[in-house]
Amino acid sequence: MTRRDFLIKWGVYALALLPVWFCEVYLLNRYPLFGVSPMLLPLAAVAVAVLEGTVAGAGFGLGVGILCDAVYFNPDGAMTVGLCLLGVGAGALAQYVLRQNLLGCLLCSLLALLCIDGARVLVWLIGGKAALPALLSLAGREIAWSMVFVFPVYALFLWVFRRVPKKTVL
Amino acid sequence: MKDFFRHNGILILIAAILLALVTAVVSMLLGGKANPLANLVGIITTPVRNGISAVTNWAEERYSDAFELEQMKEELEALKQENAELKAKEREYESAIQENKRLYNLLELTPKDKQFTKEAAMVTARTTSNWESTLTLSKGTNQGIAVDNCVVDEYWNLVGVVAEVGENWCTVRTLIDANVELGGQLVRTGGAAILEGDLALMEQGKLKLTYLPENSQLMSGDLVTTSGRGGIYPSGLVAGHVEEVRTDASGMTDYAVIVPETDLDNLQQVFVIKDFTIVE
Repeated sequence: MTRRDFLIKWGVYALALLPVWFCEVYLLNRYPLFGVSPMLLPLAAVAVAVLEGTVAGAGFGLGVGILCDAVYFNPDGAMTVGLCLLGVGAGALAQYVLRQNLLGCLLCSLLALLCIDGARVLVWLIGGKAALPALLSLAGREIAWSMVFVFPVYALFLWVFRRVPKKTVL
Repeated sequence: MKDFFRHNGILILIAAILLALVTAVVSMLLGGKANPLANLVGIITTPVRNGISAVTNWAEERYSDAFELEQMKEELEALKQENAELKAKEREYESAIQENKRLYNLLELTPKDKQFTKEAAMVTARTTSNWESTLTLSKGTNQGIAVDNCVVDEYWNLVGVVAEVGENWCTVRTLIDANVELGGQLVRTGGAAILEGDLALMEQGKLKLTYLPENSQLMSGDLVTTSGRGGIYPSGLVAGHVEEVRTDASGMTDYAVIVPETDLDNLQQVFVIKDFTIVE
């Protein structure tokens, strides 16, 4: 794959990220369901990692993580490193343990969301700011509602994946 | 995993860790001022946010016009009734105000005075995370807005406190955010307490009033304002009213559930208090 192909490929992935970002940050948060709005950007990082593998997953996860830390309130760098690691993990799981398909993406997304919200629950518990039942209730609803969006997010990136050059050279 | 180590995967991980460290350190050093990347993204996306906000507000207004007409008529009738009662009360208060002025002059006291420097701003975006309650406004450091400025609605009800500022945008933690804590005062009894966000109540759009004064006989509907103690926030901003008193999980202390007076879900325009002088 030439450098031009490489740039086009990741440019297209970045473009595909825009509607996901738009929906999460400007649309779905206005109309919460069961008191929560879904997390879509981590799902995008996982979907690409499942389709493209560990290295590309890490790279795309890094990019999405930087975007998250730039657009989310009160950034602490956790999403940058967290999504990069989740990209590696999801890529490795899909490549070596599961399959690089929708089912693999569903399982990897669930694990990723569990990791993200598990870390949040821990931070809140350590800070002593909320009771465990309230934290688990919020995390549970957030994960459940977010999982619904694995289907459209995966479909979007699968559509992109089928149209871009396959082999990634970094 | 061989592929990962063979194809610069480890370099990506190192880059991620370094970038995360830089983000954390820069955010900590700037103390509420947006880091350069967040500021840039905020500036670039401001027109998008403004556009989306305008379109959604327009659509919601059309929806209200079309489907909530009956409800609005009922509300109008109730407001007319309330207005008549308030006008009657106003007439009673007028004589008390005049008497108060005469007494101030007689005793040569400095009259109470409140002066505020305000900046009007539009709400352009709402909380992205379920773990916080924030609003993004259309004004920032260019308009003199700073961290810890209070934000109120058009009726002087407290909306929240500025927590992060970019050049032409800022993020406000609303008063129901679980990380908000400020001095409160019960208007009826004069007792001081702490207005505090709570994660479980945040979802219901409420907050709590803790460290209640001893033997405080709270009643449903009691108004709570900011106390202004500490001098960071002005006093007298209406936070909300008492809904009920509950006992906390330990069974040792009571707290009051407060319903904010401001309608956080439907705010379009707010005012940032950049500076204030209060003579009590």
